[in-house]
Amino acid sequence: MLKKGDLVLTAVLLAVALGASAAIGVYRNISSGLGKTAVIKHGSQVIKRVDLNKVESPQRLEISKEYKQVVLIEEGRIRFEESECPDKICVKTGWLSQMGQTAVCAPNRTMIVIEGEPEEIDGVTY
Amino acid sequence: MTKKVTLRSGLLLLVCIIAVAGAGCRAGGSNTNAYETHDFAMGTSITQRIYGGNAQQAAREVIDEIKRIEDEMTINKPGGEINKLNNSAGKAEIELSEETIYVLEKAKHFSSLSGGAFDVTIGPLVKAWDILGDNPRVPGDEELESLLRLVDYRDIDINREAGTASLKRPGQIADLGGIAKGYAGDRTVEIYKKHGIKSAFVNLGGNVVALGRKPDGSLWKIGIQDPRSSTGDYVCVIEIEDKAVVTSGDYQRFFEKDGKRYHHIIDPKTGYPANSGLISTTIVSDLSIDADALSTATFVMGLEKGLELIESLEGVDAVFITDDKKVYATENIKKVLTFSGENRGYEYVEER
Repeated sequence: MLKKGDLVLTAVLLAVALGASAAIGVYRNISSGLGKTAVIKHGSQVIKRVDLNKVESPQRLEISKEYKQVVLIEEGRIRFEESECPDKICVKTGWLSQMGQTAVCAPNRTMIVIEGEPEEIDGVTY
Repeated sequence: MTKKVTLRSGLLLLVCIIAVAGAGCRAGGSNTNAYETHDFAMGTSITQRIYGGNAQQAAREVIDEIKRIEDEMTINKPGGEINKLNNSAGKAEIELSEETIYVLEKAKHFSSLSGGAFDVTIGPLVKAWDILGDNPRVPGDEELESLLRLVDYRDIDINREAGTASLKRPGQIADLGGIAKGYAGDRTVEIYKKHGIKSAFVNLGGNVVALGRKPDGSLWKIGIQDPRSSTGDYVCVIEIEDKAVVTSGDYQRFFEKDGKRYHHIIDPKTGYPANSGLISTTIVSDLSIDADALSTATFVMGLEKGLELIESLEGVDAVFITDDKKVYATENIKKVLTFSGENRGYEYVEER
């Protein structure tokens, strides 16, 4: 009797725990999926904010500041595609798709940031 | 029999509790409130991530402070204290603020400590190359030779009590470009502390300073960039608290002429971009100003001499990457270093 009761109780608890764990996991995925906002800035000024999960077709955004640049925005990712700046570090940075990632053009004082805390590391020294 | 089963159930129950708690923690981790800003100053991007305290006001104050330091310490635009000193080279002793005297003293100290591998009077060479400026060029040998004669940190005379400094000969130029960003990092942390902030992170164009630990009690994870790849890929990760991390490399700032690449770290002995066999030097220390000067110094010194210097200093650590893609680290940092560069052709040399 006791044995059976124990097993039932354990099974129920385990089911509840796994269910809760899965639910939280799903919720987390949904919430992180919902909030993938890329911000394009010049100096301290925001040029454009875009939810990368709601990009239906690729967009090109031209920036004409000190140097001309083109930002390419696709579903789930964004990058500096072209730049007339001298070092092209911004273009070489490539695609950004995860929270906390940034691409910077120091000569043009522009940057792209995907908002949110980075998941793997807090920062990179270079 | 019954006892055994109860025990087993108890264990399973424990597993369940851990599973739920674990899931809860993961969900909670992303909810901690960070205030994050991105700005431009000192010719680079500045990222601040601040937890708790008066984050917004602190962040704004930091940017104002960094811009003020830039104005005082740059030789790339007129005005500011360092220009006052340079304009009086060979002529007069100049009164300077306590702050400028402090930074100059630090700069001279590290110039001396590195035997001139880092030299604060490198200004004439930096101006001639103009690698970070609008008109970079390769100066001729004769020109370099005459400019090299102006480079000698021993010609800076600093009188702390009187609050004055001077440069011995006309044409000499003190350049704080290799140390001012480091100083700005230290000032940033002071401002955070003043606002009661216990956990924050600032990245001044690759110069990282971490205050405390992360709010969840974990250490800050800092990647050291792959010097032969685009921004964002890293060769290893180090975990730190209350430390400054500064990297010098040949890959971020350079210009190309006739198919040859000239990077921005000039060897004060040769007048040319340093060619020591190191392509990336990272220094970890308590003060960002120290890390900044030492990363440049060791980049010029090379692997053996660089490691020797760092190992002679208390509380300073280093990670060096050579041009044959080998990664070296000092003893203390090995304990908190996770190497991940093998896929990109790097080798971690743990035993020298």
